[in-house]
Amino acid sequence: MTKTKIRFIPLDAVLIVLILAAGTYLVRRIGVEMDYHWQWPVILQYLVRTDGGSWAAGSLTQGFLTTIKLSLWATFLATFFGTIMGLMRVSHSLFHRLIAGSYVELVRNLPPLILVFIVYFFIGERIMTVFGVENFIRSASPETQSMLTAIFAPPARLSGFFAGLATLVLYEAAYITEIVRAGIQSIEKGQWEAAHALGLSRGQQLRDVILPQALRRILPALAGQIISTIKDSAIVSVISIPELTFQGLELMSATYLTFEVWITITALYFILTFSFSLGVRRLETAWQK
Amino acid sequence: MSTNERIIEARELTKTFSGGVVALDRFTLAVRRGEVVVIIGPSGSGKSTFLRCLNGLEEIDSGSIVIDGIPLDRHRKNRLLIRREVGMVFQSFNLFPHMTARENIDLAQIRVRKKTRTGAAETTMNLLAKVGITEKADRYPHELSGGQQQRVAIARALAMSPKVMLFDEATSALDPEMIGEVLDVMRTLAAEGMTMVIVTHEMGFAREAGDRIVFMESGRIVEEGDAERFFAFPREERTRAFLGQIL
Ligand SMILES: Nc1ncnc2c1ncn2[C@@H]1O[C@H](COP(=O)(O)OP(=O)(O)OP(=O)(O)O)[C@@H](O)[C@H]1O
Ligand SMILES: [Mg+2]
Repeated sequence: MTKTKIRFIPLDAVLIVLILAAGTYLVRRIGVEMDYHWQWPVILQYLVRTDGGSWAAGSLTQGFLTTIKLSLWATFLATFFGTIMGLMRVSHSLFHRLIAGSYVELVRNLPPLILVFIVYFFIGERIMTVFGVENFIRSASPETQSMLTAIFAPPARLSGFFAGLATLVLYEAAYITEIVRAGIQSIEKGQWEAAHALGLSRGQQLRDVILPQALRRILPALAGQIISTIKDSAIVSVISIPELTFQGLELMSATYLTFEVWITITALYFILTFSFSLGVRRLETAWQK
Repeated sequence: MSTNERIIEARELTKTFSGGVVALDRFTLAVRRGEVVVIIGPSGSGKSTFLRCLNGLEEIDSGSIVIDGIPLDRHRKNRLLIRREVGMVFQSFNLFPHMTARENIDLAQIRVRKKTRTGAAETTMNLLAKVGITEKADRYPHELSGGQQQRVAIARALAMSPKVMLFDEATSALDPEMIGEVLDVMRTLAAEGMTMVIVTHEMGFAREAGDRIVFMESGRIVEEGDAERFFAFPREERTRAFLGQIL
């Protein structure tokens, strides 16, 4: 890839002015035609509340933070799990290939919404109770509880959060599995053979020779999948996890400020995905030695 | 020949690929320690397959391979031992593109021979000096010419201090002006007493550096013999025809 410096030409200025004008016109028309009264200040208090003089996060901000936490954990765990499954997809062992293959086929052929319900009712309701997770949390020290709240969710919401997280991980990891598999298979046979001839074990061949090269190749696809993870995290709103979309739905039924709410939500998702894309782009340029 | 002298003993090797291609057909060859054997033959005659069987890159269907007393059998441990003792140089270099020349050569020393970084660094610099590219130590493969890449690849294989070196058309992918520099390195190795099995189309080199020439076709040996004799007085009609074609 060649680096081209972005230059700002007069045409760009004209285009920006046109877009702004069109936007303003649209907003005005909505106000006039539909008799819609824009009430942006209302939204503001759902972003930041003033709690008796001190600042606090409003419900939208809290939803935003939950989405971030959910996406971060899901990205991290799905990448980990997907890499292991991807390695199993190219394993010499038929057994490993079968397990990973069935997993991918199963998950990719289910609507994610169904997956949420399955995981929620099985893991969320049953397994958590069976393993005494809830009891453990309830009897944990206040420090542990506040730590859990900070990195996951408040104790009362923990099992729902985990069910949502598990769904996302299960769902996204299936795609990451395929990305990792394709990345590994894209490496020339000669690389394996050279590593083999040097006496490296299969694990060493993978770790030192194949994966470092595969990772560079799959970075764009992986980044795309991580952005999907952020976007797909909205589906867990159906099991009442108070992430951004869920908070938006709640807020809308409370205020009926359809436009303001969804424009804000859109902007918040965009901030998240776009800043991530920028980060990845920097990483890619850094690697393009 | 005592068995100790025979560092490579391949007996009755048979290899059939899916699709029914017989690449090796009861192929038998022994190589003495320090000997330089050059294998020649038409395309598809099984030369690469034979080399690849010697270090376990390809599985034989039947027959036996013993290298320096270690049988290449089902035992994982033996297979691993043999891979460590047999170095291989490929037509397409196969350097690791994400590592510098130095790192390519360091890798197996550290991972397989369990040397320390400093221990490996010394060997690596000596080897780079030996193949004449000390100044390119910190270059990535794509920054090197074909000839330089192949010399790094040879140094990388030598870093394992192998008992046997296999060369599969090491100069075939090179521009003519770079062939000489790689052949020079191979000549030096031969002079130092390295056991080598070389597949090549460079007949001049084969004649001058090879101790023994093996001409194979359809997975079988047609004729073999002392290098001078082989080129001066080929016995088989088929050999004469082949040499006539390429010389
Ligand atoms: N992986 C494979 N699958 C199927 N057939 C193969 C495979 N590798 C080699 N063969 C076949 O086995 C035969 C011997 O191949 P081999 O590569 O050993 O020949 P070669 O003597 O090295 O030829 P060349 O001079 O072209 O390199 C050929 O007919 C080839 O098509
Ligand atoms: Mg070949």
